[in-house]
Amino acid sequence: MDTLSYLGQGFGVALTPYNLVTALSGTLIGTVVGLLPGLGPINGVALLIPIAFALGLPPESALILLAAVYLGCEYGGRISSILLNIPGEASTVMTTLDGYPMARQGLAGVALSLSAWSSFIGAFIATCGMVLFAPLLAKWAIAFGPAEYFVLMVFAIVALGGMAGDKPLKTFIAALIGLFLSAVGIDANSGVYRFTGGSVHMADGIQFVVLVLGLFSISEILLLLEKTHHGHQAVKATGRMLFNMKEAASVFVVNIRCGLLGFVMGVLPGAGATLASAVAYMTEKRMAGASGKFGKGDPRGLAAPETAIGASCCGALVPMLTLGVPGSGTTAVMIGALTLYNITPGPMLFEQQPDIVWGLIASLFIANIMLVILNIPMIRIFTRILSVPNWALVPVIAIITAIGVYAVHATTFDLFLMVGIGIMGYILRKLDFPLSPILLGFILGGLMEQNLRRALSISNGELGILWSSPISLGVWIVTACMICLPLLRIWRRRAQQRRAVADA
Amino acid sequence: MVLQRIFALILLAVCAALAVMAWPYQAAFSYEPVGPRAYPLLMLGLMGLGLLYLAIRPTPIVRKDDEPELDRATLIKIGACIGLLLLFAATFESLGFILSAILAGLPMARLYGGRWLYSAIVVTGMSIFLYWLFDRMMDVPLPLGLLSVLEN
Repeated sequence: MDTLSYLGQGFGVALTPYNLVTALSGTLIGTVVGLLPGLGPINGVALLIPIAFALGLPPESALILLAAVYLGCEYGGRISSILLNIPGEASTVMTTLDGYPMARQGLAGVALSLSAWSSFIGAFIATCGMVLFAPLLAKWAIAFGPAEYFVLMVFAIVALGGMAGDKPLKTFIAALIGLFLSAVGIDANSGVYRFTGGSVHMADGIQFVVLVLGLFSISEILLLLEKTHHGHQAVKATGRMLFNMKEAASVFVVNIRCGLLGFVMGVLPGAGATLASAVAYMTEKRMAGASGKFGKGDPRGLAAPETAIGASCCGALVPMLTLGVPGSGTTAVMIGALTLYNITPGPMLFEQQPDIVWGLIASLFIANIMLVILNIPMIRIFTRILSVPNWALVPVIAIITAIGVYAVHATTFDLFLMVGIGIMGYILRKLDFPLSPILLGFILGGLMEQNLRRALSISNGELGILWSSPISLGVWIVTACMICLPLLRIWRRRAQQRRAVADA
Repeated sequence: MVLQRIFALILLAVCAALAVMAWPYQAAFSYEPVGPRAYPLLMLGLMGLGLLYLAIRPTPIVRKDDEPELDRATLIKIGACIGLLLLFAATFESLGFILSAILAGLPMARLYGGRWLYSAIVVTGMSIFLYWLFDRMMDVPLPLGLLSVLEN
């Protein structure tokens, strides 16, 4: 019952006019950012952090704004997948498979509203899951000491590689780059300047807004130069804009199933929306069997990944809020935002600042409803945005990115650093390294080092403390399984190849 | 493949250099058993191992369909774009936000295939609008630079 009264309190926070306007503008900005090629939730959230800070938003409003932008971006990403057959970001690849064929059949409006509805159900299921499980997890997590936290972070990093699938080694290296970069700057415990090269600007470490915007915006700008196509012809969204009851009922079971799946995948570190949507689509395709028209515009094929994305986005907030350990690139950015406000996410947050946590959870409900309602009247305006040509878009992205970086410290050094990081990010991308593990590593790195040192201080240098408690031992075992996962997959693929050769 | 090997080896060399840099990091006086040196060295060591493996057995790069092969013209364009971004950073404070944004943004719009006139209108308009939006409306201070004479 406690939970319900807290939730009521949260709605009290979220329903103040000020926060409602914040959520509404967040969803609008997020949708536009998600629509634009090359800008995803990570950039959107990162760009808004310095602005939210400069505007003097109170922490709960800032967090509501960022969460609304996050949801809006995921929503905007689907518009370009359905109308252009170009996934706005990695997680919406599966949406194009059935969304675009539906749009081609003249059902663009239906596809868009149905996907918004599915995502809403997914988010709703996940938010309910969050209400139920987050306080329990937080209560349990209070028992965590520094050693347990350290092991948990090792698990988060390893899970990233284990879940990412096709390139575990590169994911691992990328995460290590991030973990290392977090060590740059003055060491808080001993006052030693590390890797600053004697520069005053580096003493504070690398600002994470600079890292995020360099890695994601600047490298994307460079990547856009390669793409030769100029502007896309979007499928016109005409005719019926809203799905009917029959269509909604036909995908309802899919919604429920994929919502639960997406929530679980979202909570697991490293899995995230991309994997959740892929697994949901594949599962539904197999379950439908021959009766489905998957790949040719089956509403179930559209509903499955969208529900899973909606659910996993909200699910990803659970480890972030309860443990302070982000599970995805975007939640890593949100942790960075919270630290700007001097708020440390973690189990204590639920006790010390229930307004922030429950306000955020309540505003997730509200932002999701807003997105469904926005969809119907605004879709024509959103499709107009899709036809903005790159030459007008890119300079503006570059300028806004520079403003975001400059707003942090007001030094041009950060601008140069951003360009440098951007070039590095571009090279890494060309070599097929995933970038979000760098971010995750960067956020986890500082926490990881602190917890490791604290744990070893407690035990006076005895390494045994890292696996002495049952919790940490359990996490180590799961971690070991995660390491084995990609190896097992490689081994199976090799065995399959061998069989194929033997058959031929 | 070759590129990947070269990259892995370069990064490996950087790791080694950073490790050498980290070696003398020692707290002047300390109350804890783990100093400031252990964690970076641990990370660099693990990264080194990973890179070594990558240099010996590079993984194939999966190319997406819409990603064309890098040719000379694109590389020149990318170089130019980086140059413009650096120019933007260098003139950001001295010329002021609006002028430097136009100076860097206009050639950038051309680089992405815009026409002179349209690019000039969009970039100039957006720089002034963004200055107004951020500096005046949202309290993000941006330098005015040369244009500060116009202010009074």
